Amino acid sequence: MNPINQTTLHPYNRSVSIIGVGCTPFMYTMDNPETEGFTEGEFFGYAAYKAMEDAGVTPKDVDFYFHGQASPFNGSNYITPNMQVSEWFGMRGKASIHHSEACCTGYLALEQAVNAVASGKYNVVLSGCVEFGDSIVDPNKPAFLRKKFDDQLFQESLKWIYDNCYTREMMCGPNLHQDDGAAWYKAKYGLTDEQMDDTLIHMAINSRRGAALDELALARKTYEEIAKENGFDDVMEYMKSFYNPFLTGNLRASGLELKCDGAAALIVCPTEMASQFTDKKPIEVLGIGNSTREANQPHVEVIATQEATRQVYELTGVKPEEIDILYANDFFITSQLIAGEISGYLPEGEGWKYFIDGRTAYDGDKPINTNGGRCSFGHAHAASGLADIYEAVMQMRGLCGERQVKKLPKTAFIRGFGGAQNVASIIMRTKE
Amino acid sequence: MGVKLERIVKPYYDWLHEGKVMARKCTKCGAVEWPPLLGCNTCGSPDMEWIEMSGKGQMVQMVMPSPITRKPEMNDIKPYCFGVIELPEGPAVNAMVRGVDKKNKDLVAAKLPIDVHMVIIPRDGYDTVIFELDEIPKPE
Repeated sequence: MNPINQTTLHPYNRSVSIIGVGCTPFMYTMDNPETEGFTEGEFFGYAAYKAMEDAGVTPKDVDFYFHGQASPFNGSNYITPNMQVSEWFGMRGKASIHHSEACCTGYLALEQAVNAVASGKYNVVLSGCVEFGDSIVDPNKPAFLRKKFDDQLFQESLKWIYDNCYTREMMCGPNLHQDDGAAWYKAKYGLTDEQMDDTLIHMAINSRRGAALDELALARKTYEEIAKENGFDDVMEYMKSFYNPFLTGNLRASGLELKCDGAAALIVCPTEMASQFTDKKPIEVLGIGNSTREANQPHVEVIATQEATRQVYELTGVKPEEIDILYANDFFITSQLIAGEISGYLPEGEGWKYFIDGRTAYDGDKPINTNGGRCSFGHAHAASGLADIYEAVMQMRGLCGERQVKKLPKTAFIRGFGGAQNVASIIMRTKE
Repeated sequence: MGVKLERIVKPYYDWLHEGKVMARKCTKCGAVEWPPLLGCNTCGSPDMEWIEMSGKGQMVQMVMPSPITRKPEMNDIKPYCFGVIELPEGPAVNAMVRGVDKKNKDLVAAKLPIDVHMVIIPRDGYDTVIFELDEIPKPE
C-alpha cells in the first residue's frame, strides 16, 4: 500500500481551553416562513454572540477570530467571508482570517484557535463556522433572497473536493469512498452484508434517539415513531423497507447526511486565564492530530484516521480507555464504526455489536454522537464540527437534560473528517 | 538532477493518447508514483524519472455502482465496478474496473485478489485509464 508520511506533534507553549460555545438550530431555513431569509451574518453573528455570552466575554475582549465555511463562493458568493461577516457581531476592524476544509472545517476551526492562543500571540480567540447547505444566494440579489441548493447542484459541487489532474478523470475515488469504510471493515473482520446492514441501521436508530431530544437538531422524530406512522410495528422492518432504500452499496437513506443550514462558534483562551471570564470549568484541549489523504488513494478515511489518532495519543499520553464520549463526523454513518474502533473507544473487530446492542446511544455505556450526528442532527457542512464540539462541551458540563449521558464525561474524543479528505483527531478534557 | 520546474500532467496525457501509461520513479529510493507526481512520497526527493508501466495489477477490494454513484457519463464503460488496485510497480489506487456486473459480481468477489490490466479509454478531449478483468468469470 502507498506510504503515508507521519507528523510529529510537539507540546503547546501554553495550555488552551474552551470557555464558551454557541450553536444555531440546524434547519432548512427556506422551508419555514419564520426562518426564510436568514443570512450568513445573522447566523454566524448569533453563534458568535452565544459563544461570547457563554464565555463571559464581549467582542472587545476578543483578540482574533477565525471564520470557517466549506464553500463560500458557491453558497454565499463571497471569497473573503471573514471580512464580510465580522461587521455583524461588533468586531469591525479586528484581526481575522478565513479557512476552508470542506466538512472538516469546523473541527480544524478548533485547531486554528488553539494554535493561535498556544503560540502566545493572542489571549482570547473566537472561532466560528457557517454554512447554508440547503439554500444558496443568487449572486445578483440581496442575500436574504436565496434558492434551494438541490441535490443535483450539490452533487455537481462535490467534484470541487477532488483532484482535477487525475482523480476526477479516473472516475473512481469520488464514487468509491461512500462505501469504502464498510467494504474495508467487512473484508477485514468477515462481516456479511446483512450484519453490516443491521449495524448501520441500528446506528441510525441510536443516533436519532439522541437527536429527538436535542432542540437544536434537524430531525426530531425517532425512527420508531416514523415506522408507526407508516404502518410498521417493527422499526427494523420499516428500516429495511422501500421507505429506506439503499442509495450506495452499503448505505441506506438513513445512513447519509441531511444537509442543511446552521452556524456554531466557540471561544478559547489560556487555561490559566479562564477564571477571569467565567465560573464554568474550562475544557482543556489536550491535543489535535491532523492528516490528509486524497481520494484516489485507497482507504482514505481509515488510514488518515489511523495517522491523526496516532499523533494525538502520542502527544497527550491519553489511553483509549480514558475516553468517555466520542463524536465522529458521519456524513457516511459508517464513520461511527471506523472512528470508534481506530480510536480504541470500541474494541477492534467487535465494535459493530455495540451498535446493534444500543450501547452507543446517548443512554448506553459507550455514547457516540449524542446530538444525532450528520444523519440526524444535520450537516451544515463547515458548522458541523463546531456543533459536535458544542455538544461535547455541553455533555461534559452535564447540561444536556434528557439526553445527558449516564456518566458525566471527563474526556472526549472528536474525529473530524471531510473534503476528500482532511481528518482531525481531537482530545479534550474537563479541567478540574 | 535537483528541483526542476517541469510539466508532469500534460506529458502524461500526451503519452496516454499515444497508448503509453507512464509513471515517475524516484532515482533516490526507487519508489514509483502513479499517477505521476512531482516528488516522491516515500523518501521526499524531487529527483524522479519517467518509466512506462507494465499495465498489470490486482483488484483487492470492489464496490458495485449504486443509485448515487452510477453516472450517465460513465454509461459507455458498463458493466463496471469501483476497485482498489495494487500494481506490481508498488502504487495502489482507486480505479474503475470493467467487466463486473450484477450476474458475475459474487464470482469476482470470491476470486479477490483478481488479476486486472490497464485500458486507455477516450473521454471528452482527453484519455484516461481504467482497468479490466484479465478473465471475466461467467456464471454457469
